[in-house]
Amino acid sequence: MNIPVYSTIHLVFDEGIGLLELNTPPSNTMTMEFFAEFASVLEFIRAHTEFRALIISGRGRHFSSGADVPVLLREILEKAETDKNGKLTKVPDFLSSNYKSLLILESFNIPVISSIRGVCLGSALELALFSHFRLCGEDAVFSLPEASFNLVPGLGGIYKLCCISGQALALDRVLRGSTFTAEDAFKYRIVDKLVPKKVLLATATGFAREVMQDFRIEKRALYVKKYLA
Amino acid sequence: METIDKISWEIRSDIGIITLDNPPENYLVQPEFVPLEVLKKWTSYDYLKGIIICGAGKHFSGGGKLENLFRMIRNKENITESMEKGKAVLDHLEELEIPVVAAIQGICFGGGLEVALASHIRVCAENALFAFPEINQGVIPGLGGTVRCFGKTGFPRAMKLIMSGDMINAEDAQEMNLVDFIVGKQKVFDFSFSLLQKLTRDRPLTVINAVMKALKNARSMSIEDAMKEETRMFCELALAEASRRNGSRETKK
Repeated sequence: MNIPVYSTIHLVFDEGIGLLELNTPPSNTMTMEFFAEFASVLEFIRAHTEFRALIISGRGRHFSSGADVPVLLREILEKAETDKNGKLTKVPDFLSSNYKSLLILESFNIPVISSIRGVCLGSALELALFSHFRLCGEDAVFSLPEASFNLVPGLGGIYKLCCISGQALALDRVLRGSTFTAEDAFKYRIVDKLVPKKVLLATATGFAREVMQDFRIEKRALYVKKYLA
Repeated sequence: METIDKISWEIRSDIGIITLDNPPENYLVQPEFVPLEVLKKWTSYDYLKGIIICGAGKHFSGGGKLENLFRMIRNKENITESMEKGKAVLDHLEELEIPVVAAIQGICFGGGLEVALASHIRVCAENALFAFPEINQGVIPGLGGTVRCFGKTGFPRAMKLIMSGDMINAEDAQEMNLVDFIVGKQKVFDFSFSLLQKLTRDRPLTVINAVMKALKNARSMSIEDAMKEETRMFCELALAEASRRNGSRETKK
């Protein structure tokens, strides 16, 4: 298997486990190019049955600070179709393709594990919420800050947070837009386990090796209890 | 302040306050809580950013008086119609595009609990007590309480609560996801009010409405449809924000 080279993603493969790293350090911002490459990485992984588990992580100290908002706004202004009153008539294709990538990720029949260190903000948290499992370092910091700049999370973050942590918590986190700690994230059931950051990736890999033997998403709670409790 | 059927309404800064005002137990006079057109009128002010539902005095609400219900049945009044109206009222409350907080202390039974369950956030005092006592009279919650309870607590616990008619305390209620926050018993209203202010103070109504719509979609749509909508709402807000930023840049020049 020849793994393609990407400019914003670093993908490696070892003993059945793929490691997909967001690779625009230091903050691993999810640029337009990242989203385009992410879609093709997912296609590549889906087409190769050698992948039996996937770990998603950020290169360097952080998972990711989320989307590049100024560029995103500019692109939307340029590409969204509107009527003569400026009302939106068609969402730009690149935005639809972004959320569809997360649905594809979630539909993988191999375990997808986010391994989160440092900051995990906005779209990056949404990406993590579409993984099947989330492990994080004790130093991790989370938020969905979109409301604080007059936006809302747009990649299913509200939906997922509502399902995972309940309506009141989702409402609270999304409207406040403030950051919360790894302990809070664990309390809200957003992450499945807190790990000292030095052994985070090793823990995620060990967990992947166990779960990939017999992965079925319906048994998620069972795996968490058996291997992450 | 306006009052109808022992339920009063006032607005404090940009928060609307619905008080179940029939002390001591704040029984609901009408099985349907409050007439739909009244609730619609109260909640139609476009500067409102949130709503609190609370009880006057020591209790939230003992619910509907079952004697009234049985009298209506004896008099062959159209009870089904009344219950349908009640469901429409609570659906309207739940579908409001601003957050609704139930501030609960003392008893929160039957219809009172159904009103609380239609709210988006439930804050309760450490002395709060919850129950669906309907089963003791051979009936079940009739305003969507069974469905909403099941949605929060899962099937086994909802079934236990509804089939037993047993009372549970604040801690148990939180443990089974029936309430979101427990606070000291004199603090329920103030906590709820300041929570709503913190959530909405710096947020334009467009953002609040979008978040509420997305949550409603999470309750009612498939993930594919909900995400399509979430992306569309994001895009609408992004367009507005991009124009605003462009505008302010041009003004600066």
